[in-house]
Amino acid sequence: MSDRAAASERRSGIDPRGPRFAAGITALLLLVDVFLGLTTPLGATVAERALEPAFLLLVAIAVLFLWSVVSPRTAPWGAVYRFLVQPRLKPPADLEDPRPPRFAQGVGLFVVAIGLVLHLAGVPWALPIAAAAAFVAAFLNAVFGLCLGCQLYLLLQRAGILGRERPAAA
Amino acid sequence: MALPFSRKQLAWDAVTLLGALIGLAVLLAGTVALGVFLQWQQRRPRRHIPHEVVEPARLGADSLGQTATLLQFSTDLCSRCPGVHRTLSSVADGRDGVRHLDIDVTNRPDIAKHFHILQTPTTLVLDSTGVVQTRFGGVPNRDVLELELNRLTGETANV
Repeated sequence: MSDRAAASERRSGIDPRGPRFAAGITALLLLVDVFLGLTTPLGATVAERALEPAFLLLVAIAVLFLWSVVSPRTAPWGAVYRFLVQPRLKPPADLEDPRPPRFAQGVGLFVVAIGLVLHLAGVPWALPIAAAAAFVAAFLNAVFGLCLGCQLYLLLQRAGILGRERPAAA
Repeated sequence: MALPFSRKQLAWDAVTLLGALIGLAVLLAGTVALGVFLQWQQRRPRRHIPHEVVEPARLGADSLGQTATLLQFSTDLCSRCPGVHRTLSSVADGRDGVRHLDIDVTNRPDIAKHFHILQTPTTLVLDSTGVVQTRFGGVPNRDVLELELNRLTGETANV
């Protein structure tokens, strides 16, 4: 995309269908990973567990999550959407703030990373359960447009973990 | 084990495969059910909420609408808040005495706690005295919102 397009994106937001398209592909990959995780027996050693297809695929998904957090504009599924899908669609009715989808990708990375670490440590079911949890969030985003990340953000912020607290009685 | 695939191995594989497919089906069905439920719950207005009278000054606003107020709560990281903001603004602009207030609770967890806000956007419909009449969690349905306002302004529902 040109600098001008990037500038206009910063000003007014992104096409909300882009993150949903990416979430759809992510959901599909996660579903395949849950299947692989359920069919492959847990390896006996760390090296065996690290070479299982379910582990390797989840590492790839984690890298994609990380990419979307670090540089959402260059992330592969977003690029596929902008170059192949968006030109064939009508212009979006509404533009969206790019920060919430980025935060949600970070939540996805967190969940998937927990699954990877526990799997390496030899915890049974950790990998398919983490992949399934991430799948639920990605699927709800892609199909229903529900943003679990936003709601999580608000809960964390209410708990005082995110955002600055300023009491009302000022 | 001389053969690469013993009969026992094949049987075990079939059981594993079947179990995995059932697992996937349950996961998919559960996710779809959750999505349908959440969407249904979001579109539905809730009435008879035990809330006190909302004081505009506490929220940093000067006054409420003459006949009704659409009180929206948003955060920084909320993908659907800007769209709901536009919808509510245009609804309020189309009616006399209806005011739209959008409160950013990103840095005000006290307000979020006070109104029990678990998701943004959350929209409260207040009557002329500031009493909470209806609550919408998520994206309110515009037609339902108009009906709620008709109820408050005492018009017949033929808008």
